[in-house]
Amino acid sequence: MNKDMKILIVDDFSTMRRIIKNLLRDLGFQNTQEADDGQTALPMLQNGSFEFLVTDWNMPGMQGIDLLKAVRADPKLATLPVLMVTAESKREQIIEAAQAGVNGYIVKPFTAQTLQEKINKIFERVAATA
Amino acid sequence: MDNLARLQIARDLVTNLEAGEECKADELIELMSRNREASLFMEVGRLTRELHEALKNFQLDGKIAGIAQHEIPDAKQRLNYVIQKTEDAANRTLNAVEALLPIAGRMGEDARSFAADWSRFTRREMDMNEFKALSARLAQFLEQVQAHSGTLQRSLSDVLIAQDFQDLTGQVIRRVIALVTEVEGNLVRLIRCAGGSTARIEEPEAALCAEGPAVQGTAGSGARVSGQDEVDDLLSSLGF
Repeated sequence: MNKDMKILIVDDFSTMRRIIKNLLRDLGFQNTQEADDGQTALPMLQNGSFEFLVTDWNMPGMQGIDLLKAVRADPKLATLPVLMVTAESKREQIIEAAQAGVNGYIVKPFTAQTLQEKINKIFERVAATA
Repeated sequence: MDNLARLQIARDLVTNLEAGEECKADELIELMSRNREASLFMEVGRLTRELHEALKNFQLDGKIAGIAQHEIPDAKQRLNYVIQKTEDAANRTLNAVEALLPIAGRMGEDARSFAADWSRFTRREMDMNEFKALSARLAQFLEQVQAHSGTLQRSLSDVLIAQDFQDLTGQVIRRVIALVTEVEGNLVRLIRCAGGSTARIEEPEAALCAEGPAVQGTAGSGARVSGQDEVDDLLSSLGF
């Protein structure tokens, strides 16, 4: 796993973005950027050579699930690993995210350890399929 | 009764009064007041009917019954969740701070005492035995600092994670604000109905389909998972 990879953190609450950013830094990922909803995030992703997307679901403007679908529909971004970190915990929502092509799903509140595990798992799979 | 008819009655009344026809004049006055009462009753009747219709329509609006029966109690639960979450976060943060402050204090004290001994050593004011003791203490101190730095990191990371309450409670408070706005809109409608105004107000916006954090004891559509383990199980059942 490349620790210098560029990561985009998308959440409408700046406190949560800071938490995730700090946890990622703790795990050795320094190269992070932030967006506050899908609408802001999508052009950043399209123009920005990001290698990993961490997104919330419930946001004003463009929701995380729609961002995920837009990413998968964009040929340039289709294989971008996406981790969803959200308070949405209904079974049908998790299934919807899985069907939309999410790579990992974490329900809030979460722990630093969970974040680390999910990221490791995602990139193990990415490496295995590469 | 139109103006012309009333004018005619008034003229007849004057004619009869001038002619001294008291009985006829009384009849005419009686006729005028009866007409007046009739139109007043009609107006009251109309208003009553309108109010009745408005109230009936109001009761038919199932959303309002829903608000009273479910959403207001739900909102109470949600606000209690906010209190619980903020309390937990405050306690978690305070616990970490209470654990860290003495460690930081002790590390500072130790470092100060070493600084004093060290400058005695550099001035060559320390004999061999004293130096041996100092070096043993120094080795112990370095070991302690390593252990403490682990504790510091764990506690600070705990403080960091504890701040997630702002996101979780923020989502819940937004929902409660949406509810309060809806109730406010309905109250305005009720006032307008009662005031006989037919002016319509805008319907409140439909709620987002995303629901935010699960709050125990509140209504939610569909089954929720109870934690990360269940999310993992569900995803692995889907081939993840």
